[in-house]
Amino acid sequence: MDPDGLEDALELARDRSQYQGVYVYQPAKSGKAPSERPSKRRKVSSTGNGGQQSGAHCFLPLLDGEETAECVQLRHDTYKQLWSEQEDKIQEILEDVDAGVLTDVLSFVRGTSPQTCNGCIPTALVTVGSNVSSLSRLLSRLNDQLITSGEGGVVVLESGDAPNLKTSLKNIIRAAVTNTEGNDGYQKFLTDRSGPRLLGYDLDLLHDYVQRKGTKKLVLALRDSEAFDPGLLTDLLSLFKSWLDRIPFTVLLGISTSVELFESRLPRSCVAMLQGKHFEVQEAGNCVDRIYESLQAEPSGKMWLGRNITSLLFERASDYFLTPEAFSRMVKYAYMSHFFANPLSTFLADSVPSVMSRGRFCEAIRNLPSFRMFCEDLVESGSGNEVLALLENNEHLFEQALKHFEAGQQNMRQIFQAVRLIYSCLQYTQGTKKTSFSDLSVKALSGELSESPIVDDMLAIVRTLDSKKLGQVLETLPKEMFDQISLGEIQVELRILQDKYAEFGPLRSEYNINNSVVKTTVVQQRIQLSKAKANLPEHDIEYTKILDLLIGALQEYFAETLIPPQDLFLHEAFLFDLRNPLKETFVPRPRFAIERAMTSPFDYLFSSPDASGARISAKQPATAILYQLYLESGVLVNVHDLWKAFHGVFETEQGKKCDDRIVMTLFYGALSDLKSFGIIKNSRKKTDHLAKVAWMGL
Amino acid sequence: MQPIDVACSLSAQWPCREVQTRQLASLLHPHLPSPPALVVHGISATCKSTIIRGVLSTLEIPHAVVRSTECITGRHLLTKILWNTLEALGQKDEWEKFGKGRCEHVSSLAVLLEECLASRPAEKQGKFVLVLDEIDRQREASHTLLSALARLGEIIPSLCVVLVLGSSPRPLFLQDAAVPHISFPPYTRKESIDILLASPVPVVEGLLDKVTSRIYPHFVATIYDTLVGPTAGSIPSFLSICERLWPLFVVPVVQGEAPPGGNTEWDFSHLLLKNRALFRHQGESALVHRIVPEESSGPIKTFKASLATKPAPSALPSLPYFSTLILTSAYLASHTPQRLDTIFFSKFSSSSLSARNKRAHHRRRLKVLSQAQAEDRAAANKDSSTLNKKGKRTKTRITKSTLSSAFATSSATTSATGGGGITGPSTILTARSFPLERLLAIYHAIDPNPPANPIRTSAVADSIYTELATLRRLRLVVPAAGHVGGASMGSGNTSADAGEKWCVNVSGDWIGELAKGIGVEVGEWLAGGLD
Repeated sequence: MDPDGLEDALELARDRSQYQGVYVYQPAKSGKAPSERPSKRRKVSSTGNGGQQSGAHCFLPLLDGEETAECVQLRHDTYKQLWSEQEDKIQEILEDVDAGVLTDVLSFVRGTSPQTCNGCIPTALVTVGSNVSSLSRLLSRLNDQLITSGEGGVVVLESGDAPNLKTSLKNIIRAAVTNTEGNDGYQKFLTDRSGPRLLGYDLDLLHDYVQRKGTKKLVLALRDSEAFDPGLLTDLLSLFKSWLDRIPFTVLLGISTSVELFESRLPRSCVAMLQGKHFEVQEAGNCVDRIYESLQAEPSGKMWLGRNITSLLFERASDYFLTPEAFSRMVKYAYMSHFFANPLSTFLADSVPSVMSRGRFCEAIRNLPSFRMFCEDLVESGSGNEVLALLENNEHLFEQALKHFEAGQQNMRQIFQAVRLIYSCLQYTQGTKKTSFSDLSVKALSGELSESPIVDDMLAIVRTLDSKKLGQVLETLPKEMFDQISLGEIQVELRILQDKYAEFGPLRSEYNINNSVVKTTVVQQRIQLSKAKANLPEHDIEYTKILDLLIGALQEYFAETLIPPQDLFLHEAFLFDLRNPLKETFVPRPRFAIERAMTSPFDYLFSSPDASGARISAKQPATAILYQLYLESGVLVNVHDLWKAFHGVFETEQGKKCDDRIVMTLFYGALSDLKSFGIIKNSRKKTDHLAKVAWMGL
Repeated sequence: MQPIDVACSLSAQWPCREVQTRQLASLLHPHLPSPPALVVHGISATCKSTIIRGVLSTLEIPHAVVRSTECITGRHLLTKILWNTLEALGQKDEWEKFGKGRCEHVSSLAVLLEECLASRPAEKQGKFVLVLDEIDRQREASHTLLSALARLGEIIPSLCVVLVLGSSPRPLFLQDAAVPHISFPPYTRKESIDILLASPVPVVEGLLDKVTSRIYPHFVATIYDTLVGPTAGSIPSFLSICERLWPLFVVPVVQGEAPPGGNTEWDFSHLLLKNRALFRHQGESALVHRIVPEESSGPIKTFKASLATKPAPSALPSLPYFSTLILTSAYLASHTPQRLDTIFFSKFSSSSLSARNKRAHHRRRLKVLSQAQAEDRAAANKDSSTLNKKGKRTKTRITKSTLSSAFATSSATTSATGGGGITGPSTILTARSFPLERLLAIYHAIDPNPPANPIRTSAVADSIYTELATLRRLRLVVPAAGHVGGASMGSGNTSADAGEKWCVNVSGDWIGELAKGIGVEVGEWLAGGLD
């Protein structure tokens, strides 16, 4: 029939150098004679220069490659600048979050000694929950503080560094010395001692070091205590205990589950050696919320993350183990994607060069969906000439775009100001269950906030507040708001009213439950309840007026500011809302990809046109064919049956021409491929059978 | 100085060890020949090392002490012996003469020690004692190390080796006849109480010395009889319990409460009656050491508080939603027999009444079965000596008594504490290992928010792997021991081969709580879970 199919299969099978049994070794040619020794590698001190230069080149010219180098550079620089500002903010928040625990731990480390702990090793248990990364921040800052005050230092040990006792001791000693002396100092320390050279794991070395430096506190931090082998931990701790009179150890254990669980896994003898205190690091969720707020709601914000990304980010934060660092990495990636792939992001630069107003750039603006909407609105409002000018005159378009870009940014800032206002109001009006800032932001970014029940509820509760509480609420609102709504006047009026009627105590509005009266009337043996307003004193009526004013102002303000950002012209330039780049990078799906590649290989391979027809055909790679046959089988697969089926696939397509030997080779190759994927293994029950290990679609 | 004088001078500080002190002093006396080796044994906290050091320094014999627990390897021990000997002899600066401070074998140690003992100035040529503390705990020791060390004294006449053991030695464990042994037995009741009374009484403000001296001896004896004696406590733990409980015990006196029965003064029996609860609550917790001691800011306040409400256990950790679900599936996979998977987890039969009945039936059966197995095992342990090869009992008899006892006991979901459960005999109560694919399948079965369109949604297996890696780091789910070759060893090994087996590593109660938080009822799938 057609030998091409077989050729194809063979061609595919040929590229498998990793299973090649025999090969000729050909050493790479070097200029030296074989007898010469290889030159020693020199340590290269700095490679910093090279990295910076290549930075700008990693951004490619967009707009079909017609973007000028200047613009590319501009995008890159803007990104760098913008992100470094945001990163500083994030760093600040993280430090602020840790500050409380840090001072606690520091005072514990300073204040305890074996004597205060009944001769046990002083131990600080730090539970970090799912906020795994916070401990390393904490430790590095603790280390800095201890070193600057000359009291000692922190030695961090991870479970990976401690495969056995000797190695972990070696690592501890080395880390303790290099912490203050540096790597060269460690070597010098080893060689410069008087007396015989000690073994690397001898704690005498550490003792020497402690004496020489006058160390008062040596904190040994086990970052992931749960992952340590309990036996090894016991050994290490008993060793420390016996040295405790000479080396001032303090142990710091990072625990991700709970103290009880951790304690129950250790032997009693080990627990008996420890005594100390328990510290808790703040949960990650709170931290992530604060980071998000500072990124989005800053009054000087330039670029924003859209609704899809926000919800994706917070979904990850609540459903998975996500550290604040990982969160900020995801945000960073979003920023990067925006600047990398969107030519309009040049608008975000501090000064937009007018060179850009030419050619492709303007065409790009005209192709935006938001431009189309903008033009439609213009036409509807009867200014067709303007649309014409926008479409024909590049200069005019560019000017208008700049104007609207800034207006749009202003609009976004106002949206987030309004969100802040609502958020701080909610702190007063909501009881136990508080809506988080991120929830509000998601609603605002999709333009649903102003009509949402959250805001309605909030306003309803504000109506019932008495004057004293209302005054408090107004006090806490952000000050910037007072210019935009007439809040200032309302506050002044409220104060005047309060002074005037000071003797009546807090004023109540007519909406307050105390000011309505329930009437009970019996009509035809049924009780009817009817609510009616009580007769209000004059001061309450005045107060009600002020409240109505306030509510009206707020409602107007919300309706005005909380518009869907997608309606803004040029929102594509300052709002990044593409879910896929983030998803594909941070939620990779290797197993899904492999399964898909095996079941329908032509999703990935370019091949002959008639490939789409039959499900299994000889034109597919042998491994894919075998995998599909494998999927059809049960838990135990008879190899001979598998071979028959495999052979059958080739036989039906090639008839008599089919060469058994070649098909057999393909079969063996495919089988070893599947084995290397780890989806089949030899069965123990029957010798000529394979065990099915993986199922598709899980 | 005669041995009896040594004993007198030491017993003031370390009472109740006169016999041992005299034995040591006479064996190690500088003017008498010493045996080449000496074994001192006794459990911990029986004053072995302290007495030896005391005797040696009182008799002014040159000696070196090596703490064997501080030596990581056998070679390290030998080097340390040499180094400490040089230090004790004041020859530390001449280390290059003696093997350059290196010593890799016992035979070379013998040579080096002989050299350095011989190089002493003539007037100091005398006995030298080498004390090896806790030598039976030496890590990586070869099995000939002990007997070789004991023979050092035979090779070097001026040397006497003292081996201090924490466990009682087997007969002839040094392969050598007639090595003198000195035993340090645990303190008896009288001795313990005497020692305690000899140490200073914990100070309580506002308590008269007169009252203290009247009540304290009774109190110490009571503490010994109730808490220390039955648990074989050591002197330090005895002391710490007394220190902790004494201020609480005398609270009524300090606060000036009127004694009952018209007496003018509190006497011990009244105090004891008043404080019965104290012994019950505080006493037991005093025996268990915790890393974080319970708060004891003011003794009076805590006493009241602890009587009113037992301090609630600190909140167990909560995991993110997805990880909780995975942990729950892992738990179920570990605790459900694989052959029942189709009944418990199949989606096709999940809602129908008959399927539910079937499941309930199996749950009950499993519970009874596990109960019976546990009883069988207990019985087998009890009379394993009399029971000579009856053959394996393959079928489980379900008698009326086992049934009733099975239903009487509450949930059977508490199990699998630590790694011990994994290797134990396999019942339904112990966690068993499971392949990863099974975890994934069960995950799909118990997912409380299943995807609306199960065919179109992408596979979650990939995201499960990353979360599983984190759970593994937390030791909540561990690779099953048999397959990785010691899961404890390869902490860096995080391979997730589909065929590899895993096992859950926490108790069920906590997981049940967690799962309830995300809307999964664990009991629905477990043996005896919902009954």
